[in-house]
Amino acid sequence: MEYLVVALLFIVLLQTRIMDLRRGIICLSVQSALIAAACLIVGTAHGGGLHGFLPGVLTILVKVIFIPYAILRVVRQLTDEREIISDINVNYSTAVAAGSLCLSYMVFDSLLPSVEERDILASSMFMIMTGLALIVMRSRAIMQMIGLITLENGIYLFGLIMTEGLPMIIELGIFLDVLIAVVILVILTSRLRLSFKTTDTNVLKKLKG
Amino acid sequence: MLSYIITLLCLPPLCAALALFGRFDNNALHWLHRVTALGVGIMVVQILTHLNPVIPFQSTYFYVDALSAWVLMIITILYLAASWTARSYLTREEERGMLKGERWQTGRYFALMQMFVWTMFIVLLVNNLGLMWVAIEATTLISALLISFKFTRSALEATWKYVMVCTVGICLALLGTLILYYAQINSLGADNALSWTFLQENAHLLDPDLTKLALMFILIGYGTKVGMAPMHTWLPDAYAEAPSLTSGMLSGALCSCALYVMLRNLVILLPTVGSELLTGMLIFFAVLTVAIAVPFVVVQRDVKRLLAYSSMENIGIMLAGVAVFTAFSLKAVLLHMYSHALIKFVLFYIAGTIIQEYQTRNMMRIHGMIKDVPLTAGFWLVGLLGILGMPPMGLFFSKFYTMLALFRGEHWLAGSLLIILLAGVLVGILYHGMRMLCDHPKRVPGGDLLDRIDTPILIILLLLSCVVGAGFENIPWINRLLDNAVRVIGG
Repeated sequence: MEYLVVALLFIVLLQTRIMDLRRGIICLSVQSALIAAACLIVGTAHGGGLHGFLPGVLTILVKVIFIPYAILRVVRQLTDEREIISDINVNYSTAVAAGSLCLSYMVFDSLLPSVEERDILASSMFMIMTGLALIVMRSRAIMQMIGLITLENGIYLFGLIMTEGLPMIIELGIFLDVLIAVVILVILTSRLRLSFKTTDTNVLKKLKG
Repeated sequence: MLSYIITLLCLPPLCAALALFGRFDNNALHWLHRVTALGVGIMVVQILTHLNPVIPFQSTYFYVDALSAWVLMIITILYLAASWTARSYLTREEERGMLKGERWQTGRYFALMQMFVWTMFIVLLVNNLGLMWVAIEATTLISALLISFKFTRSALEATWKYVMVCTVGICLALLGTLILYYAQINSLGADNALSWTFLQENAHLLDPDLTKLALMFILIGYGTKVGMAPMHTWLPDAYAEAPSLTSGMLSGALCSCALYVMLRNLVILLPTVGSELLTGMLIFFAVLTVAIAVPFVVVQRDVKRLLAYSSMENIGIMLAGVAVFTAFSLKAVLLHMYSHALIKFVLFYIAGTIIQEYQTRNMMRIHGMIKDVPLTAGFWLVGLLGILGMPPMGLFFSKFYTMLALFRGEHWLAGSLLIILLAGVLVGILYHGMRMLCDHPKRVPGGDLLDRIDTPILIILLLLSCVVGAGFENIPWINRLLDNAVRVIGG
């Protein structure tokens, strides 16, 4: 589990540095694979069975394979594949991520002192905050989507560790929702490309007041 | 009872599938949509008549009590109205060239609308906070496609903001729900995970620190979906850019649904958290929501954004009512939910008609409606007076009761502030409304476009709000349902 936490922290911090859309998506896929690994570890620790393995397998199918594939298909249609914000902004988002890492350790040490899974809970909160930071600080639609899925992964990991998995039907519902959400965001992104000739969300500023 | 619920939940997806994949022409599609809505309406009437408000119905997954029955009734009324007026509205929209005349456009619209209503029914009928979360997130996703229906640039912008803000908000609500589940595991064990009835019976056993944390996330999360400031940024864009029928459903039905889920969660959380914390936070958010709406109402130029900000004002009033959390104020909130949904639907529909008549949504170009389009003008006037809370309409009573509850609960400052802010909204909306109705016409409208089908439906909606809002105490069935719904929330 410790190695998993280290790998997760590394990959999420790397996510804040990546400017290339394709690499960002691959990075997201690796991140989801780590979550799936955590799922399977927790599943086997609690006796396996269908309920033990299904979330892990679903995570692999939905988040590791399908979602990155769907986003990559949109990226293929784009001519400009890089994030367009400046390097300073990237440094800021890494700084925010690092700050939120410290913050989440502090929060869990004060809220739940001497809890066993301190590291992984802190890393889940770190993912939630980094996801939020990515949504706010990135301007490309696809980067915002990556932020949203990072946020979602963080919440999922948190739920997995805290509660050892929700009842099956709710779990399935959450997967379905994530799936539909990504499909809809992909549709919207390709429509943005058609209407605005770009997927930069900074052009979306007509509606005010 | 269970058979009615299952039939109710089977009809909309069936209709959606037929509308998408069946090779029907427009006429058949419209009738399919209407007949499905009627079927659903009959099922809801059956559920309402067979339900004993004192003893809730319960099965493995479903649960119906007075509170869900009340919101179910509101949503079904809007659904019926939306499906029976759809033909008039969509035909005019097609003539205006906004639908590009493709056959499948109508089918796609109906399929999405049916699925949207279906997800809202699931929110109301399930007995599990986790499944409620899943269904609420599903409403966000389906309605996103409804908002971006025309795929114009501004519709895309509105939808992108809507999906991003609401999904992040709803994800926070999921975090809150997970914390609640953790609290449940810690003190009650993992059985009956997140079951509302089980949690409600054992709510006082939960750990207060954890429920406090859960309350924060749940309030912020579902608050985003309700349209509570400062997470309201998606609201005016989405309401204004969606097709008018959808705006009415978003403002009336979806907002009620989100508030319903918030209330259900509060029932679980309040026994351990205590109502002081909730009252303080919600009153602050309520006043902030109304306060943010006021300046935008006054300087508004877009007719649908005006209505969207007026929705925010009403959301603020409902939140203030929830904040006081007495039986009296909660009854006022439920009444307000009902009247606001009906009147707002009428107003959005009329706003859509005005846009079709004048071919503009800029209020500065629409004048002299009374002379040129008297029927539309009449509805616009009555609707505006209704939404502002003038006496004959239902909103007068619910607003009055909410204010009374605020002052009875000794929230003098919040009450006085709200009254001043409401006066601001009144001045703003009346100023714009009167300029549109009177003044010298600068633009010639395309004639009074309301026809024989939508006119009576709008009249029925206005009358329903009037009759129930003013005389709920004299209609025994409604009064009993309301009292029991309030008892469920436990003010």
